[in-house]
Amino acid sequence: MRGTGGRPPVPLAFLLTLLLLLTSGLPVSAQSSAGLGGLVQRLAGMTAVTGYEQRMADSILALLPGATRDRAGNVVRDPGGKGRRVLLVCPLDEPGWVVGSLRSDGYLTLRRSPGRAIPGRDAQLQGARIDVHSRRGVLPGVVAVRSIHLTRGRGTSLGEFTSDSAYVDLGASTAAEAESLGVRVLSVVTLAKRPHRYGADLLAAPSTGRRAACAALLEAARAVGSSRAVVGFVVEQELSERGLTTVANRAGPFAQTFFVDGSSTVSTSTGATNPALGQVTRITLPVRYPGTPVETVSMAEVARLRDDLIERLRGVK
Amino acid sequence: MTARWLALLLLWWPSVPAAQEPSSLREAEALLETLVETYGPSGMEAPVRDAVKRALPEWAKPQTDSAGNLWLTVGQGEPTVVFVAHLDEVGFVVRGIAENGSLELEALGGIFPELWEARPALVHTGSETIPGVFQPRDSTGTLRADVGSSSRAGTEALGIRTGDTVTMPKEYVRLAGYRATGRSFDDRVGSAAQILALRQLDPRRLKHTVIFLWSTREEIGLEGARAAADSLRFLPVRVHAIDTFVSADSPLEPQAFAVAPLGHGPVARALDNSAVTPPAYLDSLVTLARRQGVPLQVGTTNGGNDGSVFGAYGVPDVPIGWPLRYSHSPVEVIDLRDLVSLAQLVKAAAEAW
Repeated sequence: MRGTGGRPPVPLAFLLTLLLLLTSGLPVSAQSSAGLGGLVQRLAGMTAVTGYEQRMADSILALLPGATRDRAGNVVRDPGGKGRRVLLVCPLDEPGWVVGSLRSDGYLTLRRSPGRAIPGRDAQLQGARIDVHSRRGVLPGVVAVRSIHLTRGRGTSLGEFTSDSAYVDLGASTAAEAESLGVRVLSVVTLAKRPHRYGADLLAAPSTGRRAACAALLEAARAVGSSRAVVGFVVEQELSERGLTTVANRAGPFAQTFFVDGSSTVSTSTGATNPALGQVTRITLPVRYPGTPVETVSMAEVARLRDDLIERLRGVK
Repeated sequence: MTARWLALLLLWWPSVPAAQEPSSLREAEALLETLVETYGPSGMEAPVRDAVKRALPEWAKPQTDSAGNLWLTVGQGEPTVVFVAHLDEVGFVVRGIAENGSLELEALGGIFPELWEARPALVHTGSETIPGVFQPRDSTGTLRADVGSSSRAGTEALGIRTGDTVTMPKEYVRLAGYRATGRSFDDRVGSAAQILALRQLDPRRLKHTVIFLWSTREEIGLEGARAAADSLRFLPVRVHAIDTFVSADSPLEPQAFAVAPLGHGPVARALDNSAVTPPAYLDSLVTLARRQGVPLQVGTTNGGNDGSVFGAYGVPDVPIGWPLRYSHSPVEVIDLRDLVSLAQLVKAAAEAW
């Protein structure tokens, strides 16, 4: 892959969105033949750090006829009507980082995105390829790590690492050079997303459980366009469930809410304190190596989840 | 409709000012990208050796010895000078297959296990590459790989055996300016520098014999170079290891030594853990670089180099490197200009010293 090299960076998110738009007119059967796996892989390769989910929401919006975006940024398909209200909802966001400062030597420092502190999450940055979502597109970079040769006599373990120790190397030598690439304080930073297939039907990538769960709900909602249930894809779940709360307050009260997510990422308190969500049932997709850069899902299990959600959507009268 | 969109997309795609870069830099980058994206953990260097062979000029007729080293002898007559860059990269070897199908791994070379766990993995069986993941570790225990099988028989059915090697997917990525990142720049950059020098060199104009070596198993104890040294014995008058200068050019490193900034040219690796360049030879190298207009840094770093094993036969070792950040990590970083300058210096040392 080529990166910037002094040339304008390639806005990958734009291209992904464009590809999604190009295929959004296909019937569900065509989407299915292209593969639920393809949709999962595409969503797993996208970025939606808490508070910065707009491009992901754009893609969901384009793929879900009848859906609208609310003022919080959630994507919701609400058939309206009276009677028993049921919500099926999946969160879009993922933990990440933003640029905290541009150093005079060209390195960037980071600030963790707000929300739950996840043990070991920052350590994943060390010696990792990352993407910086700048004003000019996605820039490849790396997070500095000590050279093993230079640690001789000083131990063979890297020791504790937090985002305060993260120095992002874009190849820039000055702050002005980094700025000329479109980097600013608050530019979003994530681990580089390279969804990785292995085994018979396994897919690994950061936050794949949540992405696969949302893909299953999206496919199910497309398959049952006439469902009476409200379908939502919510933002800022990691930040006090703000998106979910907005849906509850705007489209609720609900008699029942089905909260769809990867098994690793479900907050134990989801909706527990919000009576407008009604009875909350968590539907979780099993995940291997949760919360790691190789969070893994089985495509067979994703398909089973989709089929289960189709039945639930059909069952709402 | 789709074709029209694609046409619009191509029109919209940013122009590529890379064409404005010097041809020497573009040639160096293309070669390096090929070598970096070829896998060759210690003991399984054949794909890299083949890539080097394909990249050599047409007139070159290299030979492979029983240790797997690639030899190219150029020129004739005394004295004999040796250049050596290594083909291998760090990785793992499969030491066992557990009942649950996971692979028990042992490191090939110096690595931090933290940088490999919970990352994608590739198992190299010799005939195919099988994807998996390095399992996250609960503590500082042994690293294992999961290939998606739940039994030893299932893993063996994939063709995986004890002794196979394991790496992680790698990709050459251009960063801002002249910087690039990837894994195994150590020592694909050295291998590339020797090839680039040979492409520029006229073998008929050489005044003496020059042997270019691409060695095996450097990362696990300079084994290939040792076999070559034992073969050549007292013949060479000097040896140049063309290998990494591990640089402290990073905010994480102590600045006591090894401070060689990227982009400031190759580095005379005058003292490391395996060899000391005789001062007179160092002075000659500095003079040569100055005469040729090649920027040269002089420094000391850690690690060993292939040239050092020629010391058993009294052969002076004059290693030349280039500054590298984050050595043996998945995200090593270089400056491409240093590769171009290094190739110029290798050519000059072969022709004019």
